[in-house]
Amino acid sequence: MAGMAIIQAHGLTKRFGSVRAVDDLSFSVERGSVTGFLGPNGAGKTTTLRMLLGLVTPDAGTATINGRVYADLPEPLHQVGAVLEASSFHPGRTARSHLHIQALAAAADPGRVDDVLDLVQLTPAAGRRIGGFSLGMRQRLGLATALLADPEILILDEPANGLDPEGVRWLRGLLRGFAAEGGTVLVSSHMLAETAQTVDSVVIVDHGRLVTQAPLASLTAHDDLEDAFLRLTGHPSLKEAWK
Amino acid sequence: MIRQIRIELLKLVTVRLSYGLLAVGVALTGIFSAIEASRAGKVSSVAPLNTYSGLSTIVTGGVWGLLLGAVLGVTITSGEFRHQTATLTYLATPNRTRVLAAKMVAAAAGGAVFGLAVYLMAAGVGLGFVAAHGYPVSIGAGTFVRYGLGHVVGGALLGCLGAVLGSLVRSQLAAVIAVFVWSIILESLIGGLFTSIRPYLPYTAGTTLAGTALGAAGFGPAHGVSGAAPLPFAAATALLAGLAVVLAFAAARTTVRRDVT
Repeated sequence: MAGMAIIQAHGLTKRFGSVRAVDDLSFSVERGSVTGFLGPNGAGKTTTLRMLLGLVTPDAGTATINGRVYADLPEPLHQVGAVLEASSFHPGRTARSHLHIQALAAAADPGRVDDVLDLVQLTPAAGRRIGGFSLGMRQRLGLATALLADPEILILDEPANGLDPEGVRWLRGLLRGFAAEGGTVLVSSHMLAETAQTVDSVVIVDHGRLVTQAPLASLTAHDDLEDAFLRLTGHPSLKEAWK
Repeated sequence: MIRQIRIELLKLVTVRLSYGLLAVGVALTGIFSAIEASRAGKVSSVAPLNTYSGLSTIVTGGVWGLLLGAVLGVTITSGEFRHQTATLTYLATPNRTRVLAAKMVAAAAGGAVFGLAVYLMAAGVGLGFVAAHGYPVSIGAGTFVRYGLGHVVGGALLGCLGAVLGSLVRSQLAAVIAVFVWSIILESLIGGLFTSIRPYLPYTAGTTLAGTALGAAGFGPAHGVSGAAPLPFAAATALLAGLAVVLAFAAARTTVRRDVT
């Protein structure tokens, strides 16, 4: 099945008032790949991910996962795990309570709660209220939530935000391991050097439009990812600015 | 749908706010019931405790605590937006109408518990004062059961309405303020000006379900003013349930469909 598109966006368009956040955006993500979803602030990355997940309704175009719109996926959390923001937890709930609720919502084995707590290294904090968690701990809890139902796809919006260097390395290993077992990852990030160590291909957007979709190797044949990104999005690189 | 309701109930019992609201409702009911019981027979508004009217006033006097059940309902829906947990909720259950329906059921269950708890406190205080004075209990067992059932049903329906309101308004603070302003002030004003429609006002209907006299559960110009008969039990139940369904339909067609950004 490797090589087949598992996530497809076709002609996605979304306006917020007079702002065209996403403009006729089309791209695809292949099964078993780790794809970086890159773009400057305000490029429309988060809106696009939310359209993929049925949280935002596109004005035009379609977004499908496994050939279906998200709302039509049976037991969607068994197919897609998502981390969209590190703050979407009730602060008064403990991490374990949160995961038990999510396990019930996902129709996942409650025994997975302890598994994912171990996986994200939050077992010692399982009984603490989430309101007292650092940003990095919330990111780990978000990943634990996404992994609860053992999905085949991960959609992650800036998952490395708030992680310390050890956490970033851990995340890299997690994503590569997930893909090595046949999983598919679509991950947005601003951390280009880190992204270059993790992804197989990239989708670059700017002003809501597709700039390029390419394998990482072809994009970085002559530049590093940061220079290629800045060149493609029309911003001078630091090296060019110094010249 | 059963799983969705279990999820919402589990959410309800895993946050301290639910217990805090319940504790506040029960404690305030105890305090106000004790104050009213101590004034019974000494002021014109509360008959002596050895009369049916006097004991009824005390036993149903905590009914305003049902308002906190409505507030609980508000938090069940609007809390999803306050804490941005709507994202996870809708990722798990993309059918948002089903989520709203489950939340209404959970809010009704929570409201029913609130109703029962404040009733037990009010009844306990009333009976405690009666026993302390050596009076006979002037209310029959059937009436006690009817009042209790009314508290449970009234609490459930007001909780459910609170959940729908929170879904329509989304802002938790605005929705909570709206519950208090509408129930305690606006209904009293409207009911005072237009006595014929007063029994049909939702908070009034909810409290009369529980046996409270018209106007006894609010403040303002209509407090203590009669002039219309309360709705029969079945009619008040149908009115509140119908209102919840109509407003839920409106929410499902409007705010529930909005983008979660």
